[in-house]
Amino acid sequence: MPIPRVWTHALLLIGLALYTVFSAGPFAWVSIMSLRTTPEISASPYGLPERIHWDKFLTAWTTSHYGMYFWNSTLVVVSAVAILTILGAMAAHCFARYRFRGNRLLFFLIFSAIIFPPQVTIISLFQVLVKYGLFNTRAGLTLVYVSIQLPLTMYILESFFAQIPQELYEAAKIDGCSDYNIFWRLTLPIGVPAIATTIILNFISLWNEFLYAVVLITDEEMRTLPLGIQKFMGDQMQDIGMIATGLMIAIVPVIVVYALFSEKLIRGMTAGAVKL
Amino acid sequence: MGKLSLSIPPAFFPLLVEGPAMAKSVTTMSAVSTSEGLLSTRPEVIQRVRGGPAQAPWGAIMVYLTPALLVYLAFTMYPVVLTFYNSFHVIKPRGAEEYVGLANFITLFTKDPTFWRAVANTMIWATVAPVADVGTGLVLALCLYAKVPFARFFRVAWFTPVLISYVVVGILWMWIYNYDWGIANQFLRTVGLGAWAHSWIGDPATALWALIFAHAWKWAGFNMVVCLAALFALPSEVLEAAELDNCGWFRKLVHIIIPMLRATLLNLLILAFVGKMKVFDLVWIMTRGGPLWSTETVSTYVYKRAFEWNTFDLGYPSAVAAVWFIVVMAFVIGLTWLFRQRERLEY
Repeated sequence: MPIPRVWTHALLLIGLALYTVFSAGPFAWVSIMSLRTTPEISASPYGLPERIHWDKFLTAWTTSHYGMYFWNSTLVVVSAVAILTILGAMAAHCFARYRFRGNRLLFFLIFSAIIFPPQVTIISLFQVLVKYGLFNTRAGLTLVYVSIQLPLTMYILESFFAQIPQELYEAAKIDGCSDYNIFWRLTLPIGVPAIATTIILNFISLWNEFLYAVVLITDEEMRTLPLGIQKFMGDQMQDIGMIATGLMIAIVPVIVVYALFSEKLIRGMTAGAVKL
Repeated sequence: MGKLSLSIPPAFFPLLVEGPAMAKSVTTMSAVSTSEGLLSTRPEVIQRVRGGPAQAPWGAIMVYLTPALLVYLAFTMYPVVLTFYNSFHVIKPRGAEEYVGLANFITLFTKDPTFWRAVANTMIWATVAPVADVGTGLVLALCLYAKVPFARFFRVAWFTPVLISYVVVGILWMWIYNYDWGIANQFLRTVGLGAWAHSWIGDPATALWALIFAHAWKWAGFNMVVCLAALFALPSEVLEAAELDNCGWFRKLVHIIIPMLRATLLNLLILAFVGKMKVFDLVWIMTRGGPLWSTETVSTYVYKRAFEWNTFDLGYPSAVAAVWFIVVMAFVIGLTWLFRQRERLEY
């Protein structure tokens, strides 16, 4: 009996190793290509670098404008996440803490936006932003980003805040803490784990966001990273080496965040899985 | 939880006031003896506790809720309403709009084969992908749950594609599918199946499947993580009991694990289904709906009609979006309701 068992285990491990090559291989490939020049890649697409071309990152950053795209992405995503955290936490605090007429109705109304297909808002958002001079601006894109991530942020935070024992609030009240102070001095500090989860989740989703950016930004100066890469790909189809470098510039921040906060990120994503 | 509190039952009162209220009573009534002071302040304290959340503090509620509500109304609700309004109009640049009644919808349902092609492609995607995604995810999760060696490494390697943006995934897979030097064809040529080498996304017959495959590559890890969380939440006694009964792993899987993961799996299936009904990014980057509409989805069609075609009309794509909005909502509500019903019937 033990021998077949060993064999099945070995087979299983080989299968898993193959799947790993399948799922992680493309990253290894693109990171190697990001350090090789296009002629080298054309000569042998799957070769290892003969000489490591770190300078390609500098070229991509300056000549190919990836620095500008990176800066735009950072600006939009960081401000959107900051606004989201404050707005989402305030709304979540309100829904979790106070009983008032229409509490559940409003909560459900905002939350239901999570299943709206983006097309139903995107054409009119285009019109609205054009009308109010927000089209092709980072501010406009930031506000739209806040609106698309708000339901999930509010949902995750509300379910966490609702578990904070009410006695704490009563005690704070009796100590003379006002309704306004309570949010800053009680809910926010206690809610840090959930807030961190939403920050990381929102950062990754918005960093990767493409559809709204492609509709609402046409100006080269305002492009975010995904948009910049897509346009670069369209213009310089053949320059595979440089595209690969650009892809790495987009991937690295996400991987860094994942490496630092993998547990929180996964918890946030699994919370999102019940977002129905 | 947490929404109790408004009027605090008198029984809890001593518990609540014990610490802080006593201190307060001492400071305000310092001249009076402690016991008397407590007694005399009690009604006042009750008043204050009750006066808190019981009568909703509308001022605070307004302050907390208004910013989020404004964003929601301006950037979600108003655009949705506007889309429905637009769908009854022809809208040309510079604000000229003309009321056309149901004309857009009539064209859409009777004279627009491209739209129906897009619907067919989207529905194929939305039915095939959930099975592929959730199936792969479950198998991977079971492997990790069975404590294979290097589980931590495997989990990271399998999960990483989830985090990568569609732009990156799309470009990577365009290279993988490249006819001349893409790894897919290189692999076929090395193992002697060079005749099968194919321009995977250039051929209308295979393009949609190539995209579905790339999409599943990205999402399997997500389903794995959710399944894994659900697996670890299973009561271990049941599985141990099955082991004592000499239950083989396959039967354990079919008769115990899958039934117990039902809720999670159904949730994931609905999520994948609805997600695929909105699919845009990957298609837009890899094929733009081509070749010959073979990968056109409803989302890419809306985008094309609104921003790419030279019709300069935002009314018609709004009609498509409005119809699709209703379809998606109907599916979400219908599927959730259906699964709830079945759950109720079973117990």
